[in-house]
Amino acid sequence: MELHRDFADTQQKQKQHFHVLAVDDSLIERKLLERLLAESSCKVTCVDSGDKALEYLSLLDSQEIEYSADLSSSPPSAQEEAGYMKVNLIMTDYSMPGMSGYDLLKRVKMQGSSWKDIPVVVMSSENVPSRISMCMEEGAEEFLLKPLQLSDLKKLQPHLLKSLVHPTEDISTSNDHGSDDNKIHDITTLNDSDNVLVSERKVMSPEPLERRPKINGLLVV
Amino acid sequence: MELGQMQGRLAEYTRSLYMEGILDAQFLQLQQLQDESNPDFVVEVVSLFFEDSEKLLNDIARALDQQSVDFKRVDAHVHQLKGSSASVGAQRVKDACVAFRNCCEEQNVEGCLRCLQQVKQEHYLVKNKLETLFRLEQQIVAAGGSVPMAEMTF
Repeated sequence: MELHRDFADTQQKQKQHFHVLAVDDSLIERKLLERLLAESSCKVTCVDSGDKALEYLSLLDSQEIEYSADLSSSPPSAQEEAGYMKVNLIMTDYSMPGMSGYDLLKRVKMQGSSWKDIPVVVMSSENVPSRISMCMEEGAEEFLLKPLQLSDLKKLQPHLLKSLVHPTEDISTSNDHGSDDNKIHDITTLNDSDNVLVSERKVMSPEPLERRPKINGLLVV
Repeated sequence: MELGQMQGRLAEYTRSLYMEGILDAQFLQLQQLQDESNPDFVVEVVSLFFEDSEKLLNDIARALDQQSVDFKRVDAHVHQLKGSSASVGAQRVKDACVAFRNCCEEQNVEGCLRCLQQVKQEHYLVKNKLETLFRLEQQIVAAGGSVPMAEMTF
């Protein structure tokens, strides 16, 4: 079973977007990350702190409760129009004022957390082995060194694919996006906050995927 | 100057920036992320960087000017500047920040002031160089040409 062919097929059939929640206090980093992720056909929500990340996740949860009653009856395009899309991956900077990326990781992976199955990737400009093991022990999927490159994003594909291969009920309904396929949606702001940016980019063309065995473990340069 | 000459001049200028270590491979990555859907990506990111860095440099200067210097605070600012300069490929600024952080660790005000000067110098240099680079690009586009994708061939 070819991982990348399944990925491409699934993307085509279900027209899925991976929804990544990017957490970084630096505007430059958020802009870079957003661009890199868009290159991999991901929908990106950027927030500038761990607190805002948790707020956003809670918001999605409450929307899910609201929509779950109508899931069977409302078309998935309506869901997407409403801006609701489950987070498939969290990418967070390690060093942030207030709640650090590590604190956020712990909170997400906490016993009883409704988000503990969301893969979390931690990023840092500093290569500190003890920091890396701490994060991996706490349940991070990957630890990436900044500045991030396009090649680093390829490492994330197995993690994103996991959420497609094992869909939850809100993904498994058929997604027929019809004529919306190649439109780029407007950027909308969330919670009247200038620091939260929701941008959505549809797949312009299928991403050429490298044949690559599933990569786990640490990236230590 | 005709288009071919302008493009040659740009290529040579860009090459020199890499050779002198003013820019590193990260800048190239930024250029590669620029395309038809993101035509001004590099300029946008670089502008954000200069806005951010100027503010940081002022904050650092102010922090060093205090009666009792909070070296942790200075270090935090330098760390931020180091990160953002690394992200845009401003190699010499980043290196100057690394040296600066060592001074912060030593809690030496004089040393820090010297480091700040060094960072400011490198910052000023890369700013001027990039302004020239963008100007050359604009001239080419204005003359109806396209800016060739930079390549690391050295």
